[in-house]
Amino acid sequence: MRYLPSSPSEDRALLDTIGVPDAEALLAGIPAAARLKRELDLPTHGAEQEVAWQMMGLANKNMRFCAQFLGAGAYDHFVPSAIDAMISRQEWFTAYTPYQPEISQGTLQHIFEYQTLICDLTGLEVTNASLYDGGTACVEAALMAVRVAKKRNTVLISRGLHPMYREVLKTNFAPHDDLKLVEVGLKDGVTDLADLQAKLSSDVAAVMVGYPNFLGAVEDLAALAEPIHAAGALLVSVTQEAFAFGWFEAPGKVGADMACGEAMSLGNKPNFGGPFLGFLAVKDAHKREIPGRVVGQAKDLNGQTGYVLTLTAREQHIRRDKATSNICSNQGLVALRANIFMHLAGPEGLKGLAAQNAAKAQYLRQRLLELPDMEAVLDAPFFNEFVLRYTGDYAALQEACLKESLLPGLDLGRFYPETRAASSGAPRSSTPAR
Amino acid sequence: MFLRQREPLSFERSVPGKRGMDLPKLDVPAAQDTRPAHLRRTGFDALPELSEVEVIRHFTRLSKWNYGVDDGMYPLGSCTMKHNPRLNEKVAGMPGFTDSHPMAPDALVQGNLETLYTLQEWLKEITGLPGVTLQPSAGAAGELTGVMLIRAYHVSKGAKRRVILIPDSGHGTNPATAAMAGYEVVELPSGPDGTISFEDVTDPVNGKVRKGLKTLVTELGSEIAGAMITNPNTIGVFEYRFKEISDLLHSVDALVYMDGANMNALVGVARPGDFGVDVMHLNLHKTMSTPHGGGGPGAGPVCCGANLMPFLPVPVVVRDTVKVGEGEVPRHSYRMDWDRPQSIGKVHTYYGNFGILVRALTYCLSHGSDGLKAATLRAIVNANYIRTRLKGAYALHIDSPTLHEVVFSDSNQAKHDVHTLDIAKRLIDHGYHPPTIYFPMIVPGALMIEPTESESKEELDAFCDAMLTIAKEAEENPDLLHQAPTLAPLRRLDETTAARKPVLRWTKA
Repeated sequence: MRYLPSSPSEDRALLDTIGVPDAEALLAGIPAAARLKRELDLPTHGAEQEVAWQMMGLANKNMRFCAQFLGAGAYDHFVPSAIDAMISRQEWFTAYTPYQPEISQGTLQHIFEYQTLICDLTGLEVTNASLYDGGTACVEAALMAVRVAKKRNTVLISRGLHPMYREVLKTNFAPHDDLKLVEVGLKDGVTDLADLQAKLSSDVAAVMVGYPNFLGAVEDLAALAEPIHAAGALLVSVTQEAFAFGWFEAPGKVGADMACGEAMSLGNKPNFGGPFLGFLAVKDAHKREIPGRVVGQAKDLNGQTGYVLTLTAREQHIRRDKATSNICSNQGLVALRANIFMHLAGPEGLKGLAAQNAAKAQYLRQRLLELPDMEAVLDAPFFNEFVLRYTGDYAALQEACLKESLLPGLDLGRFYPETRAASSGAPRSSTPAR
Repeated sequence: MFLRQREPLSFERSVPGKRGMDLPKLDVPAAQDTRPAHLRRTGFDALPELSEVEVIRHFTRLSKWNYGVDDGMYPLGSCTMKHNPRLNEKVAGMPGFTDSHPMAPDALVQGNLETLYTLQEWLKEITGLPGVTLQPSAGAAGELTGVMLIRAYHVSKGAKRRVILIPDSGHGTNPATAAMAGYEVVELPSGPDGTISFEDVTDPVNGKVRKGLKTLVTELGSEIAGAMITNPNTIGVFEYRFKEISDLLHSVDALVYMDGANMNALVGVARPGDFGVDVMHLNLHKTMSTPHGGGGPGAGPVCCGANLMPFLPVPVVVRDTVKVGEGEVPRHSYRMDWDRPQSIGKVHTYYGNFGILVRALTYCLSHGSDGLKAATLRAIVNANYIRTRLKGAYALHIDSPTLHEVVFSDSNQAKHDVHTLDIAKRLIDHGYHPPTIYFPMIVPGALMIEPTESESKEELDAFCDAMLTIAKEAEENPDLLHQAPTLAPLRRLDETTAARKPVLRWTKA
């Protein structure tokens, strides 16, 4: 087996030093009844070329497209070559969590820079080293909001949040009988202000709103913030497409108290939904309630500046059942991809890419509306995703698109039955046509 | 390994006008600005302006301040730092996988679904448990999923239970998880041999009595939802009474969760489904060698018994057999099964860290049944070799053969005022990443060493020689250890001040 540094003479020498006849003798601590008395019923080992061919066969069973117009939280943006080259360095991808700062300064400084940039994008003051994905970031944000807003037990979620984020929230709220998750409806594609006001009360800890929302529409955070703050609740913006930070104002600058969501767009491929990059940014006043790993600046014995994992008194390995979360990892390498992407893009790149996304989405929408059976539904300003109603046979249209090697937009009917026969499309930032 | 020059923060090197990315020519009319004026992005305060070459140099230099598995032995106990095969990286980067969209119809992603299904089948056989979800993104996420399955099981029987039992030797994630799933944690004491104590344990120092498993089960009975047990436990020993523990818990219909962090000691040798486990997670970034990536992404699939399968998160990947003519080879198609009314729901936005799952399947296919078992045995041999060579110089917490890892304490060195932290930092000067330190908490000054199967005799000897040299240094020149590390670019960072006055991002001066 090519990965095991084993040879008969060395194996013998190891066993002789230990003083056992064979490796099996070292299993004496496992009761006989618990032992597997046969070999695993699985194929035996494969040579590298055998495994490579088998896996390539699986990869090739997926349909490939010239262009994907399916966004909905997973975006197929172009990835600069420098990113794959960088993350292939063993110092980045094989290293462990930076618990020993003297020997992990690379990872620690990268996270410190990444934290700085997530704060920059969101207009907030403190963030962590990343969370699993958009859905779980929403969970951490909601649970944190409940901790921050003591004695308030309800979190309002806009129906404009990604439907899967809402599902993940529901799963994680279910075990808590004392907590409530209440949905706020949509009107004209954005959060219904009247419904929001009716549901705000002194029990509400936070309101979570898509920015832009799942339908691609931008929510006016400043307008929503007024009644939410008046009710003493926190406004949490949820962004599923990080490119939007180059188009719309930072949520922290227009009323959001917390910003969370998904940042896979920054240097990652769709990867069938993972690994992705959850983020959560908060105000300085709330920093000791943030979940997950956080990196801070420190001085060493010689007075040199370096970086360490910090605020660990919040975390599970110290606080155990009183921790702010059970999370003990982050999406390190995905955060590194995003960090390198943000470094390459810079302010002009991020704004420029966002402007091109907006331009292409507007152009595509206009061209699609020239087709028979295609109708406009929403007027709210959008970024790079939008909703149209197709009154014809959408399944047939999908088939036709696939024949042209195009992956068409999402049929929203499955998630929003009230919009039956509407569909959303998301052009990617690169030129769709070859 | 270490680059001696300092690499400043990228923000300090930013120069207006530099570009690391050229935008493509816009081939459609420029965007109409439909944004309300107050929602237009104004600017950025930190995003640096650098060319590609500067960005690449920056991240290359930073990387040289890290220690990786390819640099040498990475003996972090409980972390299973094994070799990361390059094939796995190459496969996970195949465009057929990377470009596929999670919302694409099942018919267009048959390769992905077959990949997930096949990995599920491998994990079922390895654990002896018939239900699998691949959704959890990490071990802790797996724990939470597993405990929510336990909760759903009791709720389905109309019972609300409030307590989860967790041994004092368990990972901190266990109690944190139980709390996140709405449970109260009651600690199970370890006995003198480091395994879970059935009997009450009297603290030799303060005389306090801690209730053992038998007392707790008797007193709490049907209040107990389940127990979370790491096996082999965190001192590297198989909980030899696991089946009895399981039977006792089952007698009050409490379920057994196994933290599979240490599964690298059991693959091909013992199956949790065969010794009384109801539900468990696997850390694919440990057992299946998917790279740790400086802290993630990982994958924490959950495997469970038939009693918990109805509650698994949606969707579950299933295989249908396509009808074929007589005598023909049966063909299969794969789909996501969303129609599971008792499911706890979704625990990840999509289907988990798919790219990591691809790597794990590649690992499985490379190893095969024979390679998996050989890896387990070699990992155990390597840990015992270190135990044998270092025994005497370092105090063993428990002097009996161990499985995949070995835990020493600093009691021999403490006589010279040298402690675990000093030993760990001195190892850096000798060219190694330190082991896991001060964990498990039941061992004072713990040094927890897990070599994994990846280390050759030569590498093991070099590490043991370094440890023995350090033991000698502790006797002869303890100050050398107090000063360590002296050869790393930075020395003993002040974590206390960092936490008291946190600086968590760069801001313009």
